[in-house]
Amino acid sequence: MNPLRKVVDSWFGRGEASITIPPMDGAFRPNDLLDLAPLSLEAPAPDCLAVTSHGVVVSSDRLLLSVGRSGGAELASFETPISALAGLPDGGAAVALIDGRIVFVGGEHGGTTVQKNLEVACITALAPASDGTLFVANGSAKNGPGAWKRDLMEKNASGSVWRVDPANGAYTRLAGDLAYPYGLVEDAGSVVVSESWRSALTRISPGGDGRKEPALENLPAYPSRLSRADDKSIWLALFAPRSQLVEFVLSEDRFRRRMIREIDADYWVAPCLRSGATPLEPTQQGGVRQLGVLKPWSPSRSYGLVARLDPAFRPVTSLHSRAHGRRHGVTSCLIVGNQLYFAAKGDGVVAARSYEGLTS
Amino acid sequence: MTVPPAAETMLLEMRNVSKEYRGVAALKTIDFGLRRGEVHAIVGENGAGKSTLVKILSGAVAPSAGEILLDGDPIQIDGPAFARRYGIAMVYQETSLVPTPTVAQNLYLGDEKFYNRLRGTYIEAQQFLQSLNFPVDPTATVQSLGTAKRQMVEIARAVRLNAKVIIFDEPTATLTPEEKHHLFALIDRLRNDQVSIIFISHALEEALEISDRITVLRDGAHIITADAKTFSRETLIRHMVGRSLTDELYGRAAGGSRVRSPGEKVLSVQNLSMQNFVRNTSFSIFAGQVTGVFGLVGSGRTETARIIAGIVKRDLFHGGDVRLNGKSVRYRTPRDAVSEGVVYVTEDRKSDGFFETMSVAENIYIGQISSPESRGIAASVSETNALAANWRNRLNIKTLNSDASVVELSGGNQQKVVIAKALVQKPKLIIFDEPTRGVDVGAIAEIHHIIGKLADEGLAVLVISSYLPEILSLSDRILVSRQGRIVEELSPEEATSEAVMFAAVH
Repeated sequence: MNPLRKVVDSWFGRGEASITIPPMDGAFRPNDLLDLAPLSLEAPAPDCLAVTSHGVVVSSDRLLLSVGRSGGAELASFETPISALAGLPDGGAAVALIDGRIVFVGGEHGGTTVQKNLEVACITALAPASDGTLFVANGSAKNGPGAWKRDLMEKNASGSVWRVDPANGAYTRLAGDLAYPYGLVEDAGSVVVSESWRSALTRISPGGDGRKEPALENLPAYPSRLSRADDKSIWLALFAPRSQLVEFVLSEDRFRRRMIREIDADYWVAPCLRSGATPLEPTQQGGVRQLGVLKPWSPSRSYGLVARLDPAFRPVTSLHSRAHGRRHGVTSCLIVGNQLYFAAKGDGVVAARSYEGLTS
Repeated sequence: MTVPPAAETMLLEMRNVSKEYRGVAALKTIDFGLRRGEVHAIVGENGAGKSTLVKILSGAVAPSAGEILLDGDPIQIDGPAFARRYGIAMVYQETSLVPTPTVAQNLYLGDEKFYNRLRGTYIEAQQFLQSLNFPVDPTATVQSLGTAKRQMVEIARAVRLNAKVIIFDEPTATLTPEEKHHLFALIDRLRNDQVSIIFISHALEEALEISDRITVLRDGAHIITADAKTFSRETLIRHMVGRSLTDELYGRAAGGSRVRSPGEKVLSVQNLSMQNFVRNTSFSIFAGQVTGVFGLVGSGRTETARIIAGIVKRDLFHGGDVRLNGKSVRYRTPRDAVSEGVVYVTEDRKSDGFFETMSVAENIYIGQISSPESRGIAASVSETNALAANWRNRLNIKTLNSDASVVELSGGNQQKVVIAKALVQKPKLIIFDEPTRGVDVGAIAEIHHIIGKLADEGLAVLVISSYLPEILSLSDRILVSRQGRIVEELSPEEATSEAVMFAAVH
C-alpha cells in the first residue's frame, strides 16, 4: 500500500484505518438458537470438545469430563489446566496442557507425552492430520493461553502452526506470524487455521514453506476452534464479538498502552467471554443522544456464536446467544450424529441441539 | 356499465378528442366528462393514454382532433398559461418546481408583484402552508427538500391558484402513509369546496378509496367510466389489461416462487455515515439474490445506495467503510463505481435516468460509454442501433419507432430504457431505487421479471422500494431501514406486511 495513502487514511479514519466492523447479517443473522439448546453439562469454564471412544468429552480446567452418556463423569485429571484437546481417529485423545506438554490418553499412543518445545508455549488447538501426525496451533510466542486478552491488546501476531509426530515428539514448523491461531482443521492436504485477531480463517499450504492465503475474512467476531462434520461442512466457534469501541481502542496506541499498564485486565475495554456481571465493567454508563434524547448505551463485550461453513469455507448459517443470552463465550463446537455440541466457556455450559434444517 | 358523460351537466368535457404522435395514435376519439366537485380517477397501464389526456387538459400538448368544453362553452387550451387562466392546474408526477429558489418563491412563481418584500412573502407562504397542514419551511430552497416535500409544494401551488380543476398525476408515489392521509384529507376538503379533481394513480386501492368515479383507458381508447363503488381491484385490473395480473405481479406473496440462496458476499457496508441521512449503518449484499430494502421516505435508503454508487460522498472523517468483494472502496464518481461493476438505477428517471430529447438508441449507448469495455465516444451508427435493437428486444421496450425520443415513451418503457442503460454496463451489483415508481401494472410484472432474471444469472441485486407488496414479492432477503440505518433483516417466510411495517416505524 502507498505509505502516503496509509497516513492520509489513518488521519481520516478510512480505508484500512476505518474503525468499522462487519454486520451480523446474511448467514450471521442473529437468533436465539444457542439459548434454546438443551443443557448437557454445567462445569467451570468448559473449553474444548472432542469425540473419543468415551463419546463426547470436554476439557474443564484440569479435568477431562464426559458430556455424552454419563454426563459430567470425570475421565481424567491432570496436574495443570488443559489448554486444548483433540479426538483421534483411533478413539484416543491428545491433551495439551498450559505448560506446553501434549499428553495422549487412550488409543495407539495412550500414555505418551510429547515434551514442551521452547517455541511452543501457548497451545490453543490440536487437530489430527491424515498422516497420523498432529497439527498444533501455538497462539502466541509472547503470552500463555490464559493471557489472550493481553495478546490482543498488545496487537501481537506471533502465533505459529506446527506439525508434531507422536511417535518421536518431533516438532515441524508450518507457518508463523499468525495473529493468535485458535483453531485448526485439515482440508485437502493443507491446514486451515482461525486467526482470532485478524477475524479470519487462513489456509496454510502443505510443504512447510509457510505460504498463507485467506480462506474467509472479515468475520464479525473473533474465531476460535474449527471442526468438520460428516457432510464435509465446517463448524466454527466464535468466542467474542467485535465492536467499534474495541477497534477504536486498538487504534489508539497511547490509550491502549496506558490501559494495559494501569488497569486490571478484567476492566479493560476488550472483548471477554462473559460480560455484564459487575457494574465496574467499562462502558456500563455510556450514552448516545438520539433525536435529542439521551439513551443508555453499553454494547455487550461478550456473545455466543457458532457458524456453519460450507466445504469452501463460506458461511451458511449460524446460531447465536445475544447480549441478553446465557450461552456466551463459545470456544468449541462439534457435530456428532445430527447433534451440534458447543461449549460456552463464558457461562460454564455445554449444550447440544439438532442442527438439521437450520437456515439463516 | 358505461356511463355516457354527455348525458349530465359537466364542468369540463372532452368530446372525440384524439392525439397522434408521428402518425401513431396515443388517444383515440376519447369522450371524458368531469362533474363539479367530484374526484375522478383515471387508471390504465402505462401507454394507455392517461398522461396524454391530462397533458391536453393542462395545455402541455395540443389535441389532433376533438373539442374541449368548460361549463358548456368550447375552449382552446393553447398552453399551460391558458389552462391556468381557465382554472385548470396540474400537479405533476415528477415535480416541475425550480430547484434553486425557495419554497415561497416557487409558490408565487409567475405571480410576482412589481416590488417583492421577501419577508412578507415568507410569512404569507408560511401561513398558507400551515393552513394545508404541510410541514414545509418556506425559506428552504426546493433542491434541499426531499421528494415528498417537493410534492407538497407542488400541490400547495395548485391550491393557491384557486383552480376549478386540479389534476394530480401520481401524487402519492413518494408520500409516507401519514403524508398520504393528509393528502386525502386535503382532496376531500377541495371536493367540499366544489373543486373538481382528476386523480391518476397506479395504486388502484387509492383510486377506489378516494374517487367518486373511475375511467379506465387502454391503448389510447376509453374502456369504461363508472361509479367507483361498482369496481373492485380485480375488475379494474381486468378492464385495464384484459387479464388478471394478481398472480403475475405478486406471485410470492400469493405463495409462488422459490427463494434464492445467497452466493458470495459481494458488498459489505460497514458503519457507513453521512451527516444525519445515514447513521452508522451496516449490511451485506450477496450474489445470486434479490435483497430488498424497505423503508419510509427519509429513512436513508436512497442516500446509502447513492454513497455505494459514488454519487454522493460519505462523511470525510470516520464515514465507515464499503467493501466490494472484500476490498475497501471509495468512489469519487459514479464512473469509478461502474468500472468496478456497481450500477445504480435511479428513482428519479426524468432528472437522472436519461436524456429525454435523445433517442432510445443514444441513451442506451451512453450507458455503454461508461462501461469498462467502452471505446469512448467514437461510435458507429450501426453499432448504436444494433445495441439498441438488442436491448429493445431483450427488455421488450415498446417504442413508436426506432429513433423515438425517450420523452415520447410511456413511464414503463422509459424505465426499461434506464434499466437497459444500466445493464449494458455489465454490472456485478445492480441497485434499483424504486424500480416501478410511476409504472403501470403490466410493466411492473415485466420489470419484476427482469430483476428476478438478473439474480438468477448470478448478479447481486439490491431493490429499494417504499411499496411493501413489491418488496415482499421480489426479495429473497428483506432489510428494513429506519432513521438512516438498517434495523431489521427478515427472510421471506417471516416477512409479513405487519412485521416489515412494524420494523420500519418503531
